Amino acid sequence: MKLPSSASSRLPTPARENRGRWGPRLQILLPWLLLLALLLLPLGKPSANIIKLLFITAVWTTTSVAWNLLGGMAGQVSFGFAVFYGLGAYSTGLLMHAGWSPYLAFLAGGVVAAAASFLVGLPTFRLRGPYFVIATIGVTEAVRVIMNNLDITGGSSGYRILEKSLYNPLEHYYTAITAVTLAVAISIVISRSKFGLALRAIKQDEDAAADLGVNPYAAKLKVHAIAAALVGIAGGIYARRAAFFYPGDVFAFQTGISILLMPVIGGIGTVWGPVLGGVIFGTVEEELVANFPNFHLLLYGGLLILIILFEPDGLMGLLRRLFRRRREDSGSENTDEVFWGRGRVAGRKL
Amino acid sequence: MTLVRCLNLLTSALLLAGIYAAVAVGMTVIYGVMKIVNLAHAGFLMLGMYFAYELFERFHIDPILGAMLALPVFFLFGMGVHWLLVRWLPKSDTPTLASLLLMFGFWLVLQNVGYLIWGNDDRSITTPRTLSSVSVGPISVPEVNLIVFAAALVCLVVLQIVFHRSWFGRSMRALIQNPYAAQIVGVDDERTSRLTFGLGTAFAGFAGALLAMVYTFSPDFGRPFLLRSFVIIVLGGLESVSGVALGAVVLALVETFGPYVPIPWYWHGWFFYHFSESLQPAVSFGLLVVVLLIMPQGLAGLFAKKRRLA
Repeated sequence: MKLPSSASSRLPTPARENRGRWGPRLQILLPWLLLLALLLLPLGKPSANIIKLLFITAVWTTTSVAWNLLGGMAGQVSFGFAVFYGLGAYSTGLLMHAGWSPYLAFLAGGVVAAAASFLVGLPTFRLRGPYFVIATIGVTEAVRVIMNNLDITGGSSGYRILEKSLYNPLEHYYTAITAVTLAVAISIVISRSKFGLALRAIKQDEDAAADLGVNPYAAKLKVHAIAAALVGIAGGIYARRAAFFYPGDVFAFQTGISILLMPVIGGIGTVWGPVLGGVIFGTVEEELVANFPNFHLLLYGGLLILIILFEPDGLMGLLRRLFRRRREDSGSENTDEVFWGRGRVAGRKL
Repeated sequence: MTLVRCLNLLTSALLLAGIYAAVAVGMTVIYGVMKIVNLAHAGFLMLGMYFAYELFERFHIDPILGAMLALPVFFLFGMGVHWLLVRWLPKSDTPTLASLLLMFGFWLVLQNVGYLIWGNDDRSITTPRTLSSVSVGPISVPEVNLIVFAAALVCLVVLQIVFHRSWFGRSMRALIQNPYAAQIVGVDDERTSRLTFGLGTAFAGFAGALLAMVYTFSPDFGRPFLLRSFVIIVLGGLESVSGVALGAVVLALVETFGPYVPIPWYWHGWFFYHFSESLQPAVSFGLLVVVLLIMPQGLAGLFAKKRRLA
């Protein structure tokens, strides 16, 4: 027989006590420790391979967190984030060629990507139904075709960034770490703000959200632009390190799939799920593609099906279930709860 | 542009419309009844192509007969997919995140299975029919395109008859109009969905088998058709059979005649810009954006509005 919740919560089981004392503190401390470790890592003189792997992972994680802002929090699935990634890469390349500082060029890449996000968002977000999703599939194809035929970027043969300064892997590394920190910070701020609540309301029921004074059209456009900007910046950072890129690479449909897959693996709608997904994907992807070039699509597809059918909350949901973090009174199947800082909006407890 | 050239283009546009309609019809049916954007449609299309290819290579079965054989096979396959995956999805009036990701995942699986079995080389089916063409006066038409066009017409007519002359069609239309009311009056939602998914998949396999005669293909085939099918569905107003035909014709006309329409453009002075043939895949996306901005209800919505005014 189940005890009334008030009685069960008063039972002083040791495990409960411990979790109460250390759980929240650990939750606050862990990200900072992780950041500190990442910042201090180069002091330990790690091999170039590890730095490269961490760089790639940080770039992927940035895009993953960005996708989650739109897909996880607002519930708008996009297959077209490769467009923003590629636009960021190309803007950065062209502007650096024109003599801009790379950091300004990254930001400009973000702005270009955000501007491009309106091309898809303006016509489709106003309508109910699958219009946005299909438009995102279309825009990847369309932009890749255009970029393949554009003369000033070298068309399908790609674009090369020439830098006069010496190649410094640590500079690239720190840039990527900064980007991913920025992305996570934005994600935390949004998830705790009224805007984040509005997005979650839109995901659950657009009509109800509109009745409560949320403008779904504007909110979706805004979060799409923010996500696009982050992906654009990530694309620029990737492009500068790669120094060579072509439309079939940065604008590939495959890139869009990867960006979508990470948050789904980690757990959409949460702050740390996409980070987890990005880290796993970033570290595993290189090995996977190298060792099983014929199987990785099958693996991704199968994983997607399994996650949707059995654990829609991704790894985050799995972890939560393993550690029994799910509170009994919070409803069993709430996929929208933010793991981090649950139930707090702008410092006030709900 | 001479008259003959114009007529030639018009004919090829109509035949292209036939191809597009054949591809889009399966997706329309599934979207209409279940409100699921079947992203795996491209995968079914690809499987249909390889189905015809294998039959032709191994047993020398004509692709047209192969397409006929594909109908029952893919019908069963579609019902199986529905039973295994699709029926677990939450029901909704609009496509849900879960349904999109699930069908997308299934598409990836199908694509990879294709790569594993057939590799990523381009394949094609060459029959004596492939290169022959029928000419009427100055206009010459490839024979295979004519066949696909005829098959698309048959598909649409059959679907129209099923829709309006059978109980299954009636329950489908009921679900399209209002799923809740349909269930109240006794439509078996589960069974109708399963049959519909089978039907949509059968159309996809059929269209794929026919397209195998027209295009070269690899397991990656179908992505451009996914977008085009959707543009057609949007143009046709999302859930009517005649709308599919209309949407296909409009898209084909725009794609065919697009490169000949001068677009005024300013770049160091005014001039007329002709976009090149290679930009064709971008056309359907442009059309989608324009249609959504101007007439989100599609062409049918445009007509409906006029009727209401009159």
